[in-house]
Amino acid sequence: MQKTLSTFALFLCTVAAAPAWAQSPSASSILYQAFGEKAGLTQLVDDFHQRLLADPRMGPHFKPANANNIKEQLVDQFCAVTGGPCVYKGADMKSAHSNLDINKGDFNALVEVLQRAMDAKGIPFATQNKLLTRLAPMHRDIITVN
Amino acid sequence: MKTKNKTSIPMPPNPMKWVSASLFTAASLFAATVNADTGKLLLTGGVSSISGAAGGGLTPWAVIGTNATQGELGVSAFATRAATPDYSLNVFGAAVAYNERFEMSLARQEFDASPAIALNGIAPFGITPGQRINMDVLGLKVRVAGDAVLDSDSFMPQIAVGLEHKNVSPGSLNSVFNFLGAKTSGTDVYVSATKLFLAQGLLLNGTLRYTNANQNGLLGFGSNAPGKDTHSLMPEVSIAYLLSKNLAIGAEYRFKPNNLLTLGQAAGLGDALAEDDWKDIFIAWAPAKNVSLTLAYVDLGRIVPGVTNNRGQTGFYLSAQLAF
Repeated sequence: MQKTLSTFALFLCTVAAAPAWAQSPSASSILYQAFGEKAGLTQLVDDFHQRLLADPRMGPHFKPANANNIKEQLVDQFCAVTGGPCVYKGADMKSAHSNLDINKGDFNALVEVLQRAMDAKGIPFATQNKLLTRLAPMHRDIITVN
Repeated sequence: MKTKNKTSIPMPPNPMKWVSASLFTAASLFAATVNADTGKLLLTGGVSSISGAAGGGLTPWAVIGTNATQGELGVSAFATRAATPDYSLNVFGAAVAYNERFEMSLARQEFDASPAIALNGIAPFGITPGQRINMDVLGLKVRVAGDAVLDSDSFMPQIAVGLEHKNVSPGSLNSVFNFLGAKTSGTDVYVSATKLFLAQGLLLNGTLRYTNANQNGLLGFGSNAPGKDTHSLMPEVSIAYLLSKNLAIGAEYRFKPNNLLTLGQAAGLGDALAEDDWKDIFIAWAPAKNVSLTLAYVDLGRIVPGVTNNRGQTGFYLSAQLAF
């Protein structure tokens, strides 16, 4: 009986605590939720990757890369920068791109492809810009041609 | 087969106009044949201001125009019309830009100054009906620091310095320019700072212009005493909000010197020569990657109110730009 009661009490605490936690997520995990969390980001990245391969400017950069690797890393990265519970385990942006010729036009072309993928998922413009705000500073490491 | 060109190309009397027209034609031809692989993000090159420099409608921004980014050469061409109760202004021009660093622009402004004929009633100025004032503007701009769009983790704006060299042809209004002591050419220099707050979709621009132009130069530069003949520092501010990738709304405020006012007062004309600040609200739309259209409601205040029954000059402004 003692054990049942304490289990019940623990259950009550959990139930009481869960909504409180859900109601006050950090600002960044709100963005993660706006992108549909891990499932939403996986769908987005699948489509984004298809579009990158099909894009005349981006295709040549992405075709040689291992598709599953790159998609997994993109999901982890988007998940991490939107405040989700992921850790990006891939190479840092500078070393990942150091052997490629990437100029600002390439960087912008990738942004455009990502915008189209987000449009296709019905992600609102303001939400898109919040993700882009967190990705854009990476231009300093990704652009290799000066 | 080589053929000799037997006819020489007649050089029009106004070389600036010829250069401007040639650049416009070259831009159009280039636009028709170029592999449009230049890579700015939509609307991030601004639109063509009335001076030809990339920016908002009435003021230049620190952005470098055309669709070209790093390592690329780009061109743009534009046409603009603004009309108020008493005046109208047609502008056309073109710009070239390289490396998102350098921008050169040429614009021709054609100002319908018909109400000025009333000045013949004050003195025998000999103004002809429907007189136009034409002005050519050569613009140069260099980005000196920052990236307005991509440096979204800092408050550092994109900063550019520029100049606008203007030549005005007053036609039969030359007699009035002489009376005013207004010169027919002048150079404005300016520094601009532009920042896109990407997360908020908000763009801010501030420009500080050093100028002695009267009504942007359309009424010449400087004034006889007791009017102001020297340059003044004039701020210009713009704000724009991105509604979507290809649609922005915004507003601008451009402070202007009032060089001729005291000259008019000393001549017993009251505020006949008063000049006011310029304001507008605008919507800019990019229906395609290489096309933008800007519609604005402009409030240009009083423009020589002595010949327009003191009316404020408000009206519509429409501009189209092609950029590659």
